[in-house]
Amino acid sequence: MSRTKIVLAGEGGQGVQSVAKILVEAGYEAGKQVLYIPNFGVEQRGGVSIAFCQIADETIGEPRFAKGDIIIMLSDRAIDRCSTYVDENSVVVYDTSVCTKKPEIKCKEIIGVDANKIANEQLSARVFNIIILGVLLEATHVLELGDIKNAMEQALGKKFAAKPELRELNYKALEMGMGLVKDRAAV
Amino acid sequence: MVNKLIKEDTKMFLTGNEVLAYAANSAEAEFMYGYPITPQNEIMHTWCKLLPKTGAGFLQTEDEISAGFSTIGGILAGKRAFTATAGPGNVIMQDAQSMAEMMRIPFVCAVMQRGGPSTATVIYAQQETRLTCFGGNGEGFRIVYSTAGHQDLYDYMIKAFNTAWKYRFPTYVLADGYQGKMREPVVLYDPASRGISMVPTTKALLAEGQIGVDRKSAHLRNTYNMEEELMGVLEGYKADYEKMSEEVQEWEEYKAEDAEILVIAHGIVARSARTAIDELREKGIKAGLFRPITIRPLAVKPLRAAVSRAKQILFTESANGQLAQMVLEKLYGLNTPYSTLFKMGVGVTGDDIVNKVESMAAAAV
Repeated sequence: MSRTKIVLAGEGGQGVQSVAKILVEAGYEAGKQVLYIPNFGVEQRGGVSIAFCQIADETIGEPRFAKGDIIIMLSDRAIDRCSTYVDENSVVVYDTSVCTKKPEIKCKEIIGVDANKIANEQLSARVFNIIILGVLLEATHVLELGDIKNAMEQALGKKFAAKPELRELNYKALEMGMGLVKDRAAV
Repeated sequence: MVNKLIKEDTKMFLTGNEVLAYAANSAEAEFMYGYPITPQNEIMHTWCKLLPKTGAGFLQTEDEISAGFSTIGGILAGKRAFTATAGPGNVIMQDAQSMAEMMRIPFVCAVMQRGGPSTATVIYAQQETRLTCFGGNGEGFRIVYSTAGHQDLYDYMIKAFNTAWKYRFPTYVLADGYQGKMREPVVLYDPASRGISMVPTTKALLAEGQIGVDRKSAHLRNTYNMEEELMGVLEGYKADYEKMSEEVQEWEEYKAEDAEILVIAHGIVARSARTAIDELREKGIKAGLFRPITIRPLAVKPLRAAVSRAKQILFTESANGQLAQMVLEKLYGLNTPYSTLFKMGVGVTGDDIVNKVESMAAAAV
C-alpha cells in the first residue's frame, strides 16, 4: 500500500495552507485518496502554520501521523516545531533564504532551497509558495505536473482569466521549484 | 419547506464543517442559530453561503448562550432548527442544553471539539466528551454520536435530526477540529435514496386544532414547585431514555472477534486505531477495536461481551480518560486488566497505538 505523508510548515502568511489545498485538490482530482489537516494557532499572521497532507492509493486511516515522508520547513520556528515529525526515512526541505539555521536532524536527506530569494529577485514575492509546491512535486513524485496545473486552475482560475500573465508567472514558479530539487548538490 | 440541494449521489472533496452544513440541508433543517468559534465556523459560513439556494434561515446571535436558547425558540415556533459550537462556546451553551433536556426539545447540535480547559487551542481535542454527554445541571438525557470522518459526519448529522425529533432528547454530533477542518472525499446523498425517511417537524406550540378537542394542550415546563413533582417527571424521562437506548445505540467492531488486546476508542482516534490494528496483526499481535459510536447511551452489552473475550484492554483518547471513565463504570464486575494511552488535546497516531500495544503484548508474555 502506497501512502505519502507530507508536512508543510512555515509562518502564518507564507501561503503554506494555500499550497496544501492545491496539492490535495490535485490528488483528489487524480483519483487518489487524500486527507489534509490544517494546523494553526489563533493568529492571522505570524504563528507557525502547519499542513498535514496524505496522498494514498487506498483508504487512509489515521488522520495525523507520527513521522512524515517529506517535511518542508520554511522558517526557524518551523524547524523547531517540526523536527518531531522527522525520522531516518524522511526527506527534509528547508529554505536557506528564510531560515537562519540548518535543521540538525538525523534523516534520509536534507535539501536546502533558496525559494524566497528567487521569488523576490526573479519572479514575485507572491509566488514563493508556488516555488515550494514545485519543490514538493519534484521531491515526492506522488503527482504529475498536469494534476497540479489543473488544481491551480481551479484555485486561481478567476485571477488567471483577469490577468493571463499570472498563469505564466505561476507556471514559471512551479518549474523553478522543480528545478531546485533536480539540480540540487548533494548536501 | 427548504430546497434540498443534494438530489442524487454526489462525490465531493470537502472539509467536515462543509459536510455538516450540507447534511443539515439534506435533513431538511430550516434554520441555524450560531455564534462563531473556531474550529466550527465554516458550518455557519457554508450554511449561509447556501442560503440563496436553500431558502433556509440563519441568525448570528450575540453569544452561545443566546444561540442555544434561540435554537430552542426556533424549535418551539415549529422550525427544524439546529446549532453548532465548540470549546468554551459549548460550556456556556449548557444552560440552554439543559433546558432542552428538561423540556424534551429536539435540539440538534454539532460539537467540534477543541483543546481545553478554557480557550486553550483552536485546533483539536476529545476533551468535550464528558461535557457533551453530561454537561449542565441534569442527568445527561442526551444522545451523542461520535463520528470518525466525513462520511460519518454526513450520515450521523442526518440521523441526529431523526433521533432528536423521534425521541425528543437533545442529540449531538460530536466531532473535533480535525474533522471540521480536514478535507477528504465524501459521498453526499438524498436520505430517501438510502431508505431513510425524515421524521416530520411538528409544532410544539400553536399546533393545529382546538385544545381539548383535537389535541392536548402543550404545557412545556422547565420549572417545578415540588421535589416529588420534578422526580416524577424525571422518572418518566429516565424510563423513556432506557427504553430508547437499545434502539439508538451503535458501535463498531474491527477485528475484535479474536482480539487478545482490545483497543477502546471513539471518534477520530478510532480511525488511528484501525491503522494500528492492521500493522499489529501483520506483526502477529492479535489486536482489535471496539468503537462506541453512541457514546451516550453506550452499547453496554456488546461492550461487555467484547471486553470479556479479550485478555487486555487499552483505552486511548485525546483527553485524560473521559470516555474511559464512562466505559469503566459499565464494565463493573469484569476484571480484564487495562492500560491507557491518553494525550490531552493532541492527536493519537497509529504509531502511538502500535508502540503501546506492543509493550502490552511483551509484558503479557
